[in-house]
Amino acid sequence: MTEALAAVRNLLRRLLARRGPALSLAFLALVALTATFAGLLPLDPLAQSIADSLKPPSAEAWFGTDELGRDILARVVYGARTSLVTAFGAVLIAALIGVPVGLVAGFYGDWRDSLLMRCIDVLLALPNILFAMALIAVLGRSQGAALIAVGIAGIPGFARIARAQVMALRQLDFVMAVRSFGGGPGYIMVRTLLPNILSPLVVQAIVLASIAILLEAALAFLGVGVPPPTPSWGEMLRTGKSYLYEAPTYAVLPGLVLTLTILSFDTIGRALTAILDRDETDASGATIGGRR
Amino acid sequence: MKLSRRQFCMTGLAWAGAAPLLATGPASAQQLKGGILRVAVLSELANFDPQQLSTVNFHVIKNLYDSLIEYTPEGKPQPSLATEWKIAPDKTSVSLTLRDGVTFHSGAPFKSDSVLATLQKGADPKRGKNVFSTMSIVKDWSAPDERTVVINFKAPAPERQILDLLQFLIPIEAKGIDTVETVPAGTGPYTLVSRAVGQGLVLKANPKYWREKQPIAQDLVFTVFSEDAAATAALESGAVDIVYNGSSRSAVRLKGAGYQVFAGPGPLVQVFRINSTRGPFRNKSFRQAFNHLMDRASILRVGYAGMGKVVALPWAPASPAFDDNYTKTYAYDLEKAKKLITASGLSADEMKGWKLLVNGSDEASVAISQIVQGSLQKVGVPIDLDMRQGAEYVTALLGGDFAATFGAVGNVQKFPSRVTTNSIYRTSGNPILKDPHPHPDYVAAIARVDAAAGGETEVKAAYDNLNRVMVEDAFGIPTNSYDVGLIVASEKIGGITLDIDNLFVARTIGFK
Repeated sequence: MTEALAAVRNLLRRLLARRGPALSLAFLALVALTATFAGLLPLDPLAQSIADSLKPPSAEAWFGTDELGRDILARVVYGARTSLVTAFGAVLIAALIGVPVGLVAGFYGDWRDSLLMRCIDVLLALPNILFAMALIAVLGRSQGAALIAVGIAGIPGFARIARAQVMALRQLDFVMAVRSFGGGPGYIMVRTLLPNILSPLVVQAIVLASIAILLEAALAFLGVGVPPPTPSWGEMLRTGKSYLYEAPTYAVLPGLVLTLTILSFDTIGRALTAILDRDETDASGATIGGRR
Repeated sequence: MKLSRRQFCMTGLAWAGAAPLLATGPASAQQLKGGILRVAVLSELANFDPQQLSTVNFHVIKNLYDSLIEYTPEGKPQPSLATEWKIAPDKTSVSLTLRDGVTFHSGAPFKSDSVLATLQKGADPKRGKNVFSTMSIVKDWSAPDERTVVINFKAPAPERQILDLLQFLIPIEAKGIDTVETVPAGTGPYTLVSRAVGQGLVLKANPKYWREKQPIAQDLVFTVFSEDAAATAALESGAVDIVYNGSSRSAVRLKGAGYQVFAGPGPLVQVFRINSTRGPFRNKSFRQAFNHLMDRASILRVGYAGMGKVVALPWAPASPAFDDNYTKTYAYDLEKAKKLITASGLSADEMKGWKLLVNGSDEASVAISQIVQGSLQKVGVPIDLDMRQGAEYVTALLGGDFAATFGAVGNVQKFPSRVTTNSIYRTSGNPILKDPHPHPDYVAAIARVDAAAGGETEVKAAYDNLNRVMVEDAFGIPTNSYDVGLIVASEKIGGITLDIDNLFVARTIGFK
């Protein structure tokens, strides 16, 4: 695992060496930090002041106010919590289910592979947004429901990547060596194979995080996301579009933050993919997935 | 009434000057030209049955059909298909004289048989739809001849209630009554040319229409827009001439940009509906606190761009029971609300644990529900919102599956007991409060209003009693009236006629 951590650290160092990914990381760090420590800031996302509704940006309210006179900046900051919690929760659910499925399917490659992959195919056949809406219709409208819906929609991605990586590694010498020393299937999958497929899984996690944020915003935009008054970027976009004439910043600024966040995740994901692709090209035939 | 040329000119000038501001009455027909009138609407109509009146078909009913009588915007009855109506001295019957020389769109003459068929349909619980509850006062009817219809009542009925019935009755051709949902069968100023479901509707002028020099526009084209912003953009780009039933916010913005805005006399009243059979709402004092928890001014401003009036009773200003004093007495006052909550004797835990049902499809409802949520937070009653969309919300609303919710009520400008056509105010078979009705004082107050067919003093006493009972029982907390059927027109349009129910009346509209 230390070796895996070192690989991740190495990836991080190489990311920071590029301007685009470095800026993206800085932006995401800013969003994450303000969301985490929002309670320490003099911002109240729920305080209503109807007399001050739909005010343009000013010294008192940097992003202006919404239809209920609430500070849009405060709601953007607290809305980041909703988005990031949904993103990380969804990634966690997708990884916790998808990676074991991919490990088992790829390692055995028999009827278990067929069975699990057909289940994954069923999930893949369902459009994400429709699946999420159906699940929310059953579970009710809440952040937990949105998180679970997005998480389940992300399972196939993790499962397929894990399976493909395991299938490529399972016959290699270092795996055969562990097997010859008496390593059982569980030990090989968790202790030998998993550390060696972490890098593409990290990339997938980042890609899914951006998809999850977008999907959560889309659900909120469609009116089935986190219920108000909890701040949500998608909900702000949904309501703000009705006030485009009176208060353009209401929809534009949350939309801009949402766009930059997704763009940042995407930039990092692409950069990581490029780095890993180069590693594969540079490496010898027996070294795959960053193992040297 | 004949006008001299001077009187005519003065009247015309007065209308031309006042219409955009006061939103009343048509401009002189002589000043207007015909043409193709293009109207943007925000909803697809359900069907052509005039007895299934709802906001989705407000734009077609008065263009395909005529009612027996009409109201002016001030509520005065006017002849339409009935030229005369004589209410018996004992108020147990009304005799109607039908207009001669009127034909249905099929070419068949308008006679008493069609009125009888219409009454028969309205009295049928399955086919009568919205008209059925209004027919509850009717005992039977007859047609002594082709031009006369007599309607008998079960008991002496107040004059206003009789007039409301006549205004609500829209004659359908007898032979077309079974197919009226798909094929319009009226006498109206326009006839149907084509309908593209989800897209729009094309009507053309009825060449045999009985009103002189009407309709003015030869063609009437309705286009359905799913977004309010798209409809207003179509108006601003000149793609349509009128937006009907758009949002108050857009109307305010367009008025500022020089467009004409017309608000009719038949608004809806937003009511915070309380299910008094559930949880803390069984407690009268707790319910009464909500009379003072409603920040009505903010609700009107945020939800309806300030277009409307704050009210504490479910009446529009045109209603005979309207009483503005209640609005002042039951104004937003958190201190009074706190005292009533304390007087309820409920614990903090007992007051929580319920959710405010919200129509997530309606932006105004989402906003005003958050205002109430904020007020409740301030008096120490934190609650969550239960957001539901479209049909899911309507099912919960009409099925009574809620603790509290906002929902608009109509018929608030007519005879007061017409309010019982709205589910929360029903006196029997109430889907929310169930039977037996948990508020017998309210049921008795409605019965007293219905029975008050005597002098003005008796009638006023009955209305006052109903108003007092409504705020004391507090299972419906009105917050504001707001405009439905708003008309926003380009400056080249004239001759807007306002309907008592805010239906769209195109026959007097033309181009300046």
